[in-house]
Amino acid sequence: MRPDDRDLEDEIRSALELSIQERIERGEDPQSARRAALEEFGSLQATRDAMHRVWYSRWSDAILMFFQEMRIGLRSLLRARGLAITVIVTLALGIGANAAIFSVVRSVLLRPLVNRDADRLLYIRQTAPGIGTENLTFSMPEIGDLESRVKSISAFGDFSTADLTMVGFGEEPRVVTAGVVNGSFFDVMGLRPVLGRLINSGDDGPTAPPVAVLTHRFWTTVLHSDPSVVGKVIRLGPGNATVVGVLEPSVPYPDDTQIIANVVTSPHHMSATMQKERWHRMTELFGRLAPGATLEGARAELKAVHASMVHEHPESYSPGARVGLDVKTLRDQIASPARTILLLLLAAATVVFVIACSNVANLILGRSVRRESELAVRAALGASRGALRRTLLAESLVLCVAGAALGLLLARPLVAVAARYAARFSVRALEARVDGSVLWLGAGLAVVAAVLLAYVPRLPSFDRSRDLSPAAGGVRITPGTNRRLKIFATTQIACSFLLLVGAGMLVATLNAMSTANTGYDMRQVLAVDVPPPAPGTGDETTVNLFQEATRRIGALPGVEGVASGMIVPWRDPLGSVLKVQFGFEGYQPANGEDNPACKFRPVSPRFFAVLGVPIVAGRDFTDQDRPDAELVVIVSQSVAQRLFRNGEAVNRHLWIDPRAGFEPGRRRIVGVVADVDDENVVQVPTMTVYIPWQQLGEPGRLFVRAAADPYALVPAVTRIVHEISANQAVERAATLEDVRTQVLTPQRLNAFVFSAFGGIALLIAVVGVAGVLAFSVGARTREFGIRLAVGCEPRELRASVLREGAVIAAAGILVGGLAGILLAWVASRLFGTAQMPGVLPIAGAAALLVAAAILASLLPAVRASRVDVIQALRSE
Amino acid sequence: MTRTSDDPRLELLQGTLDMLILRTLQWGPRHGHGIGQAIRRQSEELLRVETGSLYPALHRLVKRGWLKSEWGVSEANQKAKFYRLTPAGRAQLIREQDRWSQLVRAIGRIMNPAPAGEE
Repeated sequence: MRPDDRDLEDEIRSALELSIQERIERGEDPQSARRAALEEFGSLQATRDAMHRVWYSRWSDAILMFFQEMRIGLRSLLRARGLAITVIVTLALGIGANAAIFSVVRSVLLRPLVNRDADRLLYIRQTAPGIGTENLTFSMPEIGDLESRVKSISAFGDFSTADLTMVGFGEEPRVVTAGVVNGSFFDVMGLRPVLGRLINSGDDGPTAPPVAVLTHRFWTTVLHSDPSVVGKVIRLGPGNATVVGVLEPSVPYPDDTQIIANVVTSPHHMSATMQKERWHRMTELFGRLAPGATLEGARAELKAVHASMVHEHPESYSPGARVGLDVKTLRDQIASPARTILLLLLAAATVVFVIACSNVANLILGRSVRRESELAVRAALGASRGALRRTLLAESLVLCVAGAALGLLLARPLVAVAARYAARFSVRALEARVDGSVLWLGAGLAVVAAVLLAYVPRLPSFDRSRDLSPAAGGVRITPGTNRRLKIFATTQIACSFLLLVGAGMLVATLNAMSTANTGYDMRQVLAVDVPPPAPGTGDETTVNLFQEATRRIGALPGVEGVASGMIVPWRDPLGSVLKVQFGFEGYQPANGEDNPACKFRPVSPRFFAVLGVPIVAGRDFTDQDRPDAELVVIVSQSVAQRLFRNGEAVNRHLWIDPRAGFEPGRRRIVGVVADVDDENVVQVPTMTVYIPWQQLGEPGRLFVRAAADPYALVPAVTRIVHEISANQAVERAATLEDVRTQVLTPQRLNAFVFSAFGGIALLIAVVGVAGVLAFSVGARTREFGIRLAVGCEPRELRASVLREGAVIAAAGILVGGLAGILLAWVASRLFGTAQMPGVLPIAGAAALLVAAAILASLLPAVRASRVDVIQALRSE
Repeated sequence: MTRTSDDPRLELLQGTLDMLILRTLQWGPRHGHGIGQAIRRQSEELLRVETGSLYPALHRLVKRGWLKSEWGVSEANQKAKFYRLTPAGRAQLIREQDRWSQLVRAIGRIMNPAPAGEE
């Protein structure tokens, strides 16, 4: 049991008494006995301190003292409940937003992968900057070259994606995103099974039995973690495969695959094209660093081997494409698409935190001015500057800790929202959780805020004669305080301005995208996926299926037309891949240049009529354009205008560049249609060549034009297709308008999130400006009273307060604008490019802020003009 | 080690105060003032412990578990805090006593070298 100070004091006193008593008993008179005893004891204070120090270290003393101060602070804040709640809620918003964004950033950018030795796991990529392709992927011969020559990579794993139709597990036929991998893939990735086994080298080659591994997500969400899946046989693509295992939870990359299968399951992977053709690129490549090798070393070797490979096969690498190779760790590769957006979010959250802090600083400053006299009295009674600061710090700590606690409570739901949002950029965001590190962050932010806040108020000047003057009972505002208040309010406006302009930019972009004219009839056309069981497996049955389905759906009431094609605009990633170089009759590429690359789109007759694309010249495809008939094509207007004299393309010829590996026969142009861009929502002129799918390619998408509600047709369309072929998947029916809306989801989310930040900032800033002006008006009651007494119009007073608000807003906007320019400069230095906002977002944000500031100054202005003259003059 | 020629008091050797306190409590509890008086009396007024050292030392010993303190009433019917040895304190006293006699012997040998064979 530690004795407390009173106990120590008592002990010394009693000892002193004993000593005096003894002296008296010895015959001294009480007076001199007391004096002698006191002399003998020396400094009682020093003795007591020395005893105290035995039990309490300096640290524990300071902490105890601080708790004392906190208790006092808590009590005094309970008397100013409104202020305390405002401060706590404001801080909670700032800290909560930061904690949530930080959680997501941490899980996406900072957390290690589950893969074994993830630092040595590489992602290798072939690029072709000359034709704007960041990821060209690899062909099997290329992978073979790298495998046989590169020594710093101990093993390569290859992976290609295929949409396969799956029938099994007692479910409807469904299209699954499947990965087709070689036997070393899982070993390279460093992943383990949770059930059964993974695909290994025994599963390679054309004679191995077909096997499949389920990803953990697919197994848990679709199959409800059924432990009996191993050993089941499912129909996958055109054949059957046995489920051999379930993969541990891991980041799915490059695609969110559901099933991973060995090579024999995909006939396309076994084909000669896939195995032999160097240009047939569709495979992603992973590698594991050999023992002792470094990333830099491996990169140098890979690049060298790749360069010599390009040199040996000039026919497969056109010089204009500038085919190159790059290698990164898988972790960097996964994080990179999300990095920019997350850092932006983090910046936005920080700005919100700054706004919150400066607003709270204002409120605290206002409060401390009101209690200046209290502090002055304490200073006069001997409290040191440090002691006064400690009081202020204790109070602001109480506020900030409460704010942080509330903020961390808020963080949990915010993290869920932010994670779902960020998952669009990186799958790792789904792993985001609120955890200990966020608590530390919250605590850190609270302490930072508290210390800042404690140093905001001015301490009473130590010229006591002035501060203790009788007038000190009222609020006395000094020019310095007023200036500080205004600086904080200006900061808030400036930060809000930045956020609002950013949000405005995103909203403007989104708006431009969602109202852009796409060239398609958006509302009445229903697009449905009716894919072949595996890519490239279309045959006679497929042709029959589509012809039969087109005929029977076309006969349904309310259907105005049916057509088929290979891709749904914007939705199918294949759209950006299907690009081929063509030779054109009468067009000679300039020296050293390649034949022009055009989009390549297999479509059915009536495709243009159904999607509402006008035919500018010539004719549409007909059912007579069969494989055995004359080879024909239709081109888009850009092709006609750029490659033919006077745009006269009809009846001229073109042919597919022999390097593309298709039937290179000459094809006659029978029609020209308007340009449509099925890749970008905002249209750019695109050269497209349409080919009847009966002559080249295969269909997989149905387009139905409806007279009334397109979605009413979905059950009938599904039924008809299933009647023709029971195991045919029919999925993702949506109007083109809804497809576009869905494609724009990331933009919509960006705009929404930044608008939310902007909104919070605006709200806090309005509260801030109102607070500053209310305070300034309250402090100048006497001045206003005098002005009213000497005949000033209330209207003028109102105007002067409103003006004050407008000036704060204008200054804030100016500062924000300058900061924005600086930021844009920094961003362009860091990222190479920086998008500058248009006039509209800037003007909009400025107008909004000025309006908000004026609104915020209305109440204080009215109060200023209604000052009771007599009361005001009497007040001091 | 005298302060001045006319003050015969000795200053305590560093670290011996604790031992002296333990020793004075050997025969029963005393209050702080009593301990100081005892040291003074038993040293025949040669050692005088300053209050500023005595009381912190007492608390140090309590903290280390060698003493226990409780409030009581003195012979003169005054409130006072009494200290008594704990078993651990008793053991400590024996240890310190041993150490002290070794020290005295060792220093004695250096200061008054005795003829060999005589001890």
